[in-house]
Amino acid sequence: MMRRRDPAAPARAAGVLLALLALWPMAVLGEFRPWLLFEAQNLRVIGAFLGGFLPPASGHEFLGYLVQATLETLAIASAGIALAFVVAVPLAIATTQALSISRLGPGPGRRRGDLLRAGLRVLLVVLRGIPELVWALLFVRVFGLGPAAGVLALALTYGGMLAKVYAEILESGEQRPARALLEAGSSRLHALCYGLLPGCAQELTSYTVYRWECALRASVVMGFVGAGGLGQLLDQSMKMLNGGEAASILLTFLMLVLAADGCSSFLRRQLADAGSRQRALAVGPLALAGLVLLVGAVVASFVALDLGLGALLTRAAATSLGDFLVLFFPLDLSPGCLQKVAWGSLETLAISVLGSLLAAVGGALLALPASGRHGPALAQLTRLLLNTLRSVPELVWATLMALAAGLGPFAGILALALHTSGVLGRLFAEALQNAPPTPRDALVEAGAPAAAAFLYGTLPAVTPQLVAYALYRWEINIRMAAILGFVGAGGLGQLLYVELSLFHYAQASTLIAAMLLLSVIVDAASAWLRRRLG
Amino acid sequence: MFRLQDVSLAHANGFVALREIALAARAGEQIAIVGASGAGKTSLLRVLGAALRPSSGQLAVLELDPWAASAVELRRLRARIGVAHQAPPLPPRQRVVTAVLAGRLGSWPWWKGVASLAYPLDIAGAAAALARLDLDERLFDRCDRLSGGQLQRVGVARVLYQQAQLILADEPVSALDPTLARQTLQVLSADAVARGATLVASLHAVDLALSCFPRIVGIRDGRVAFDRPAAAVDAALLRELYASDSGPSPASSASAPGPAPRAAANAAPPGGCWR
Repeated sequence: MMRRRDPAAPARAAGVLLALLALWPMAVLGEFRPWLLFEAQNLRVIGAFLGGFLPPASGHEFLGYLVQATLETLAIASAGIALAFVVAVPLAIATTQALSISRLGPGPGRRRGDLLRAGLRVLLVVLRGIPELVWALLFVRVFGLGPAAGVLALALTYGGMLAKVYAEILESGEQRPARALLEAGSSRLHALCYGLLPGCAQELTSYTVYRWECALRASVVMGFVGAGGLGQLLDQSMKMLNGGEAASILLTFLMLVLAADGCSSFLRRQLADAGSRQRALAVGPLALAGLVLLVGAVVASFVALDLGLGALLTRAAATSLGDFLVLFFPLDLSPGCLQKVAWGSLETLAISVLGSLLAAVGGALLALPASGRHGPALAQLTRLLLNTLRSVPELVWATLMALAAGLGPFAGILALALHTSGVLGRLFAEALQNAPPTPRDALVEAGAPAAAAFLYGTLPAVTPQLVAYALYRWEINIRMAAILGFVGAGGLGQLLYVELSLFHYAQASTLIAAMLLLSVIVDAASAWLRRRLG
Repeated sequence: MFRLQDVSLAHANGFVALREIALAARAGEQIAIVGASGAGKTSLLRVLGAALRPSSGQLAVLELDPWAASAVELRRLRARIGVAHQAPPLPPRQRVVTAVLAGRLGSWPWWKGVASLAYPLDIAGAAAALARLDLDERLFDRCDRLSGGQLQRVGVARVLYQQAQLILADEPVSALDPTLARQTLQVLSADAVARGATLVASLHAVDLALSCFPRIVGIRDGRVAFDRPAAAVDAALLRELYASDSGPSPASSASAPGPAPRAAANAAPPGGCWR
């Protein structure tokens, strides 16, 4: 027999080489200098600030504010994610390939269906391509300061994100059952409920609950521009350099995220049980009670916030919104402005890539103990660490890292890496736990060491999911990297902050367009990579 | 080679899968295990493969009690036992070459296993194992591009590549057509003979068992119903083995429904061929 070579090897080697070649200029552009962290002056500054964290503030009056702000944050996040869900579900059903009737065959109306899907995808891109902070700034002009701007900003951005990820989750699962139902003439909704949801419900729920947590953090970030909640409180404490109050607020946040985590795992357990217990009702009584509670909480959120969403529908609101929008056009396309924007874009891209990459590595390392592979004690400890990492919003990490490493893009990279490794570590750990155990077990039963059995039995099954998660986070991080500059961490955000505070709306809209363009490019690159690596 | 004495196995949910099994084999023997679905064939193979710990009884596999051995000894023992599964537990996105090479992870040093992920280190070895099953042209395909029968043969190729001293095959040819099933069993059998390894296979197709294996063990309700040369297994014995209405305990007969009568009807006389 002739000597055979691995036909995939040259492509793999080329891919690795190309990735290294692309990373080098990014490291230069992102001012990636880890040793800065250990310089004496930076150590002194961050040490002094962190020293102020102890003891956390616990004054009577402050605690009152804290409770009120916490409830407001919860309400903003819940109302926002509820609206986002309402926006996302029809969009996801309409855009996903898995429920396309015209693709069967291909049948009649194929071109029209593809066009409609493409159009909706563009809408989704615009919705989530503009950071929620920018949406919030826009809505503040219409509704004034207050939670309404935050809720609507969440509804739009998170609606776009949920719709996209729902559609992709539906496409990543087993599609044959739904296809068979569609071929048998059933409607999209029935094919979704009978063909796709059984396989995807857990992941969809898990992702939605996770997004709700993200909304909690986002509402804090929007508090920085006056949308209420814990963010406003944190902003005040940070500005007064009151470490004790900042510590109390961050601790509250950690507890909120832990509670959300418990809520998420409870829901997923109930879903997993749903099929195994034999009863007519699809969900258990506990889950049903939880569902009722959830609906109640959402209604309560809307009532408590007193949003006055009706005002959005009035003619006066529409005119004022229109007048405001006109200020942003035409875009400033002068060479000087474009050059500035191009450099800012490259820097933002470098921040997002390096931050996501560091986070993927860190998340993978933390996911191994967090998935319970090295005993339950270590798992709990790692989970606590992951929760801490991700319960602190990127923007807050960025302010801390600007103290630790100086102003500039490197602080942004660190901020993204810290927060995202908390997020990815948790998602990776869940993926590892959900991986089919038989391939690994079979290798262990054939005498393979645990590490080798993991590499050959578990990793191939979860790699596409891990890669997809990391790439999704990259798509989120490019938007984050664009606004981290608000606190001095480089990139487009720093430029936008300056232009907006000078009322240079034309330049600002060029920057927003650049953010949108960047997020479109990153989305496309991420989708391409997912297809190649999946 | 292996010896089971009074081995019983109760699963965690209380179901008793094996009752007082006594079974022994010398090196190089080839044994077929037959019996109705749920009779305990798979449990028996998993106990032999040191994958399930028996609830009671004495067990020695390759002259070692797996459950009295240290972790390192157990791992070494398991590396010498090869298992071909009915549904091969291969990750869908893994390439065939990697899936086959994984058979020797038990004997490779750790760095070799890691390096082989970057570039398959023994392409020739994997190709040779696959060639014996006429699958070598699928060497670099992904497992999820294979049909069920091809996947089952990749599982067999992994065991061939592992070069185990005890080969346990759990319905290894259930997804293959009759001709291919016979050829695949012949490859397994010839490989075992050539290396002096012991082969134990559970088979759904009784005629295949009778024509390919010299020794037949019948399992019913977790007990050894008979253990005799293939030539001494007759139709009456098989009818009794697969009969579903005269179980000793109602619980176990209820748990063993299925295609038993059909299998008994299909049973051909010893040494017969596929119709």
